[in-house]
Amino acid sequence: RQTGVSNNNIVQKSNAIIVSHRQKGNPLLKHIRNVRWNFAEVIPDYVLGQNSCCLYLSLRYHLLHPDYLYFRIRELQKNFRLRVVLCHVDVEDVVKPLLEVTRTCLLHDCTLLCAWSLEECGRYLETIKVFENKPADIIQGHMDSDYLSRLNHALTAVRHVNKTDVVTLGSTFGSLSHIIDASMEDLARCPGIGERKVKRLYDTFHEPFKRVV
Amino acid sequence: MVQFHEHIISDLLEDPNGGLVVLSSGLSLSKLIATLLSLHSSDQGTLLILSANPSQRKSILISNPNPNFNGGPVEITSELPAHQRNALYSSGGAYFITSRILIVDLLTSRIPTSKIAGILILNAHSLSETSTEAFIVRIMRSLNKNAYIRAFSDKPFAMVSGFAKAERIMKCLFVRKLHLWPRFQVYVSEELEKSPSKVVDIRVPMNSAMKGIQKAIIEVMDACLKEMRRTNKVDVEDLTVENGLFKSFDEIIKRQLDPIWHTLGKKTKQLVSDLKTLRKLLDYLVRYDAVTYLKYLDSLRVSESFRSVWIFAESSYKIFEYAKKRVYHFARSEAGKPTEQKTNVSGKKRKSKESSTEKEASGGGVFLQEILEEPPKWKVLRDILEEIEAERKKKALSSDEFMSENEDDSNGIVLVTCKDEHSCMQLEDCITNGPKKVMREEWEKYLLSKVELKGYQGRQKGAKKKAKEPKGFGILDGVVSRTGKEDGEPSSINKQENDALLAAASAIKNLSKKETAVEDTCQHDVSNDVNEPGRRKGKSKKPLEKHSKTRSKSKTSDTSQIASPVNEGERTGDNKVAEGGLHEGKQRTLPAANGILRRHTEDIDVDITTSRRPLPPVHFHALESDQPILDILKPSIIIAYHPDITFVREVEVYNAENPSKKLKVYFLFYEDSTEVQKFEASIRRENGAFESLIRQKSMMMIPVNLDDHLLGVNFPIESQSSVAQNSITRKAGGRKETDKEMQVIVDMREFMSSLPNVLHQKGMRIIPVTLEVGDYILSPLICVERKSIQDLFGSFTSGRLYHQIEMMVRYYRIPVLLIEFSQDKSFSFLSASDIGDDVTPNSIISKLTLLAMHFPRLRIVWSRSLHATAEIFASLKANQDEPDEAKATRVGVPSEEGIVENDVRAENYNTSAVEFLRRLPGVTDSNYRAIMDGCSSLADLALLPVENLADLMGGQKAARTLREFLDAKYPTML
Repeated sequence: RQTGVSNNNIVQKSNAIIVSHRQKGNPLLKHIRNVRWNFAEVIPDYVLGQNSCCLYLSLRYHLLHPDYLYFRIRELQKNFRLRVVLCHVDVEDVVKPLLEVTRTCLLHDCTLLCAWSLEECGRYLETIKVFENKPADIIQGHMDSDYLSRLNHALTAVRHVNKTDVVTLGSTFGSLSHIIDASMEDLARCPGIGERKVKRLYDTFHEPFKRVV
Repeated sequence: MVQFHEHIISDLLEDPNGGLVVLSSGLSLSKLIATLLSLHSSDQGTLLILSANPSQRKSILISNPNPNFNGGPVEITSELPAHQRNALYSSGGAYFITSRILIVDLLTSRIPTSKIAGILILNAHSLSETSTEAFIVRIMRSLNKNAYIRAFSDKPFAMVSGFAKAERIMKCLFVRKLHLWPRFQVYVSEELEKSPSKVVDIRVPMNSAMKGIQKAIIEVMDACLKEMRRTNKVDVEDLTVENGLFKSFDEIIKRQLDPIWHTLGKKTKQLVSDLKTLRKLLDYLVRYDAVTYLKYLDSLRVSESFRSVWIFAESSYKIFEYAKKRVYHFARSEAGKPTEQKTNVSGKKRKSKESSTEKEASGGGVFLQEILEEPPKWKVLRDILEEIEAERKKKALSSDEFMSENEDDSNGIVLVTCKDEHSCMQLEDCITNGPKKVMREEWEKYLLSKVELKGYQGRQKGAKKKAKEPKGFGILDGVVSRTGKEDGEPSSINKQENDALLAAASAIKNLSKKETAVEDTCQHDVSNDVNEPGRRKGKSKKPLEKHSKTRSKSKTSDTSQIASPVNEGERTGDNKVAEGGLHEGKQRTLPAANGILRRHTEDIDVDITTSRRPLPPVHFHALESDQPILDILKPSIIIAYHPDITFVREVEVYNAENPSKKLKVYFLFYEDSTEVQKFEASIRRENGAFESLIRQKSMMMIPVNLDDHLLGVNFPIESQSSVAQNSITRKAGGRKETDKEMQVIVDMREFMSSLPNVLHQKGMRIIPVTLEVGDYILSPLICVERKSIQDLFGSFTSGRLYHQIEMMVRYYRIPVLLIEFSQDKSFSFLSASDIGDDVTPNSIISKLTLLAMHFPRLRIVWSRSLHATAEIFASLKANQDEPDEAKATRVGVPSEEGIVENDVRAENYNTSAVEFLRRLPGVTDSNYRAIMDGCSSLADLALLPVENLADLMGGQKAARTLREFLDAKYPTML
């Protein structure tokens, strides 16, 4: 593949995974199929975007060279926001080595991802690259799009407001804008909405988004 | 109270430490417990009853033998405030409690342990070293050495699964005595067999179709098992058809396969689930009527056809074939044969039968013939009931003077027990309305559901049919003749069959209104035809069944009489018989037809008499509902429609308790069926379990100083632990000596899991509190959210995980997501073959990746097992400060002023307003900051017109969505 093209500007912005020369010969590369990749002179094993990088570690290798991971992480310095350690679980007795890897990652600000096959490793790399700019909505849970559940969802953002309160508020004031507009007295007149809830609601609606310190 | 319960109790009371009691299922465990409770007096201290399920709680309360024991034990729930619970703990009463509440109260030292007399633990078979009950007992024993632990199980089979399970359970409960009370124990059997009740064992022969289905299912099952054996993954010994009849078979297989589950091919996995399906099919064969069974098969075929292996096996073809034959018969026929008349089933709207026959003949006829076979047991049940009633009458007549005495010990209540609610209702229906009607209703329901199933394919045709129908044409004929003309080849037979079914279905849909119309306008003949086919078919079926006593026959036809709304004279009856003879002529010789004729005239005579013959009052009870029905109803006659070993035992105990009662029990088995096999196997299995337990008991190694031996590992709970004690425990735990005790703050809700227990075993101090953020706080910096694998998948979809992580990231320097695998399941997400070729948003890999990308500070911990988790926690805590309980509970909880402590953002932002804003429709990750810049508060925002909003939100559409949402009228009930 295009091994020669190793410019720094490519590193900066590229829609391909940039693979370090150290990874040459890693059978994992065969499994990166959905995203282009090319070799370059980079510190981490894989550069997956402007802010994210990845180190590959086979657990079997770790058993032989327990210090390897630490030195690789130290090399990374603080250049990336997301630093993934992709751990290929390829030994039977995982508890002890995995404990060491977990500890190292945790103490040195790395996110540990475990995979049990080279395919899975490849898929993680691909996914990180593909999802580079993807919003998180698929894991934020989709709620029902009907009016009532949306209203519920919004109003219950205020602590201690429950679904019954939402019904009370809705039927008393008629619409969300009227609820937001309501005075403290009006809110307090609603059954089930005590002093503290009134204050919470009122503050939520009327305190400015940004506090001026 | 039965004698052997006394024996059990006196044995149990011998050891002040307590013991583990295993008794045969059905030997009234709840009564035993109730007796034990009544022996408890408040000056001994408080008695706590753990892990009783709701039905057990109920039956313990009901069987409370001592009425002045103020209504039996109360339940301690989390709703009770702490001080009230505290008062109850020291009150000396007996209480039900859940293990979660108990462990939390123990850990927070809210229980005056010296006031606890002991703990009763039910369902001991579900215990293990890591279960919360074991945790409770361990702490209890460390604080109060005198409290007794009495554990009970009436599922001996569950006690022998796994290696030395009984011994391990005893060790974790710190009890030394194992009490075994099998049904074959001398005291038990002596007492239960002292005055045996009158038992009538009726073996109902299955009809040929049922036999055929059963044979076919067993064949397929055997084939699946053979296939399974070939995979070499499972212990061959367990793979027998007999084992396959039980639910526990799945567990056996699962236990063997779970550790290697991800390495299994699709086929093996499918085999496992196929076996389950087949077992269900066998079970339903004796429980469901023919139509319901076919319906189940149909939906099975629709839902499974692509995946399962068994459906394509040769014998499964037979299953479907037979099942269909029990309900209807579909055939093509040559023109002019008299059998054509069968078609009238769906040619109901025909004015005269002859014309219909001719039309079909010319159309190159196919026809649908209802058979609607009744379950053989129905008839037998009715026979029994009538016999009972007759006997009773006789007795009443012969001994009028003894009547009053008689009524004392036999209240005449007849109890019929079935496995499930569905059969109960159906049987009841069957007794009151007659089997014909029940079958007919089922059939109609079936046809209608068929329409639904075939919905889209049939839509066009259905439309045509409906258009035609009002004109008064035969529905079936319309379709049939058309298809007949278009393609007369036999290959289209399936299609034609479907068409016929659909036609029949839509006929039924319109039947009701049609019927009334017909009755109004047309002659008697027509309405007669409408009702006739079912009856006629029923009769033609009868001679095939073994139970061909004339009496029962007359009964069925009698009931069909009820079902038919038209009352008919002799003449129509004769008519009918003639016709019956005609179609019968095809299958049988003429004399047979004569037989029918004779029988029919008989029917009419008997009709009058049988319709007057009353049935005794009958109660139906579903075994599934788990109620102590015998004690509530006090029946004198019991008919076990679906015999079940536990219920048989209950009857035995009931009989022994009420020796004055002349109990009569009927068992209804299908002869040579898996029902019998299963019943017998369950006895064998239980005996086997007990034998194994007896063997285990003889070899058990329970240390005498159990307490010292096992308690050493953990800390006393009021842990102002002296250093000396500490070091001893450290050594005993085989750990490095450290000078401080590790503390972990655990959320109350986490006590459903076993991790707190294991952490405690590791020597950490557990502090239970209610946490707003996270599940475990390891240090001021480290907060852990624990997710088991199932949980992980679920909370990704619901979005809960995202929110939880968001909170952790907000308040803690090192937020940790702990993904905890189960020790006995495979350690992996996906097998290589499940990964697929593309990056798909629904894959767990994608979701986890997104999470990691959106929270780059989130640390993920992958743990192989509970124990590995404990190791990891210990290692992570090693160089950290201990967490602060007070601080941890305050995290995420806004103070009175609404300001959240430690929240960096809270100082600068009105967090709940921001959260509110972001939840509004039209507001997205990309535009909410702009909105916050553009208007000061939510109240401000609510006043902005669409144009301004559009500017802020970067789009008309989003702005309109938001505006409309704000102004939308709240829907009211009025």
